[in-house]
Amino acid sequence: MRIVVAYKYAPDPQEATVASDGTLDFSRAKAIVSDYDAVAIEYGRQLADAQGAALVGVSVGGEAAAKPVATKAALARGLDEVVVVSDPELDGAGSTRTAQAIAAVVKELGDVELVLAGDSSMDVGARMVPSVLAGLLGWPMLSDVEKVTLADGSVSVERLVSEGVQSITAAAPAVVSLTSEAVKTKAPGMKDLLAAGKKPVAVKSLADSGLVAVSEGTVTARAKLDGPARKGVVIDTSDPAAAAAELVNALRAAGVLG
Amino acid sequence: MSTYVLVAGNAGVSELVAAAAKLDGPVVAVVVGADEVVRAVAAPGVDKIVWLGDPGDRAVEAFAADVAKVVAADPGVVFAGRKPAERALLGAVAAAISAPVVTMPVEIAAGQVTRAIAGGIASETRSYAGPVAIVSDGGAPLTGGGSTSVEQAAASPAEVTVTDLRPNEVAAADLGTADRVVSVGRGLKAKEDLAIIEALATAFKAELGCSRPVAEGLDWVARDRYVGISGQQISPQVYLAVGISGQLQHMSGCRGAQLIVSINTDKDAPIVAESDYILTGDLYTLVPALTAALG
Repeated sequence: MRIVVAYKYAPDPQEATVASDGTLDFSRAKAIVSDYDAVAIEYGRQLADAQGAALVGVSVGGEAAAKPVATKAALARGLDEVVVVSDPELDGAGSTRTAQAIAAVVKELGDVELVLAGDSSMDVGARMVPSVLAGLLGWPMLSDVEKVTLADGSVSVERLVSEGVQSITAAAPAVVSLTSEAVKTKAPGMKDLLAAGKKPVAVKSLADSGLVAVSEGTVTARAKLDGPARKGVVIDTSDPAAAAAELVNALRAAGVLG
Repeated sequence: MSTYVLVAGNAGVSELVAAAAKLDGPVVAVVVGADEVVRAVAAPGVDKIVWLGDPGDRAVEAFAADVAKVVAADPGVVFAGRKPAERALLGAVAAAISAPVVTMPVEIAAGQVTRAIAGGIASETRSYAGPVAIVSDGGAPLTGGGSTSVEQAAASPAEVTVTDLRPNEVAAADLGTADRVVSVGRGLKAKEDLAIIEALATAFKAELGCSRPVAEGLDWVARDRYVGISGQQISPQVYLAVGISGQLQHMSGCRGAQLIVSINTDKDAPIVAESDYILTGDLYTLVPALTAALG
């Protein structure tokens, strides 16, 4: 039995800057395994150990996603092996194109009982790849999951919904996206990093995956988005009570005090 | 060609119907839900309902393939809200009709969508030859009153069964409808100090919010109160940010506020450039002063 974790190797958006023409510059941003995907890998490790299953990481991206520094970072978190679909055309790929590439790998792997994903990617945060993947595979999609149990061909989960904690049982296989706190992660140690260098890595191009990727449209314009114009009033805080009174007066004048 | 709005167990899709009505062709709501949901969705702007049935003890997600089949028979632009079941249905549709997914749309026209990217600091316009699958805020519930035709369609839902629901012990926070939100970030030194922030929120008649690390890492504040790109996205009348530096992810959750007030020790923090009123200084003296001034 295999458990797959879909993960993204992505630049940290904290470091992104935007030029006046709306072009994003990620060149100074350090790439890492997306925060929440690390949660999925850790959770998958525990589940795979309990089930005696192999834990396979699947990632989709540009050339950076297949570099040893990228695959090692993911393997060191506990994966047994990784398969990366890496192609310049997949750099910045949208949810549907990404899900199509993951689905192709999952189908080829076979014997997959569960695909785990993180809550969202840290750079885009569309939260749609797992749902499209489930659609492509024809498997149930269960999101916002805190706890997963695999037994007798079924997947049982506890998930956070707006009303409370919902328990669901579905026929396996399924696609499950976890909450950001399903399990605590820890930074890989030196031993994990050394072991990661010896684990198997398979790299496929878009052509290898046999995929005719969806068209993602043509970019016709970019712009920098300025939020609403702000007043930018600096209130002197040398006297805290006077500063507080000044703010209260300003808010009262604006008619926003309840 | 029809334009579709997916309804996943609740009628809160008014914004989506309004956006769909601006495109060509009839607006078709594909509904998984109880009778009352169908009656509510039969509202002005919705030309036709395709009803896949009441899920009963199945999860709405069980109907994903059925919903996809309805749209795939006559593919068109598809809208769905941001909730989990809505995303699951939309994902299945995008898979079935090979449509790209668009999130955070700013402007939607025939064959062209402008969306916000990177947490709302930039926008990108793309033209599309085929249908797209759009995720956006659902909006207020529809309340019926339309001359909408209802067609019942056969469904063969997957085995996805809800076996239990343990209601929340504390009522879920609803930051989205609050007029005033006081939000706290890493500038707070200890969990005990939350008391002064809560006192300010009470005096200000505001809901309490926070930045991501305060909810997810420190666990000081419930997760449903975290404001940011993957958390709550809110547009209150006043957003009072205390000890929050204002990174991209956070600001994309509160940029819609009418007024932003920041209390921060760093006069060069990113939030300062996005504030209407700026109080630079120690929150431990400014917050109690503000609470007193409001009291």
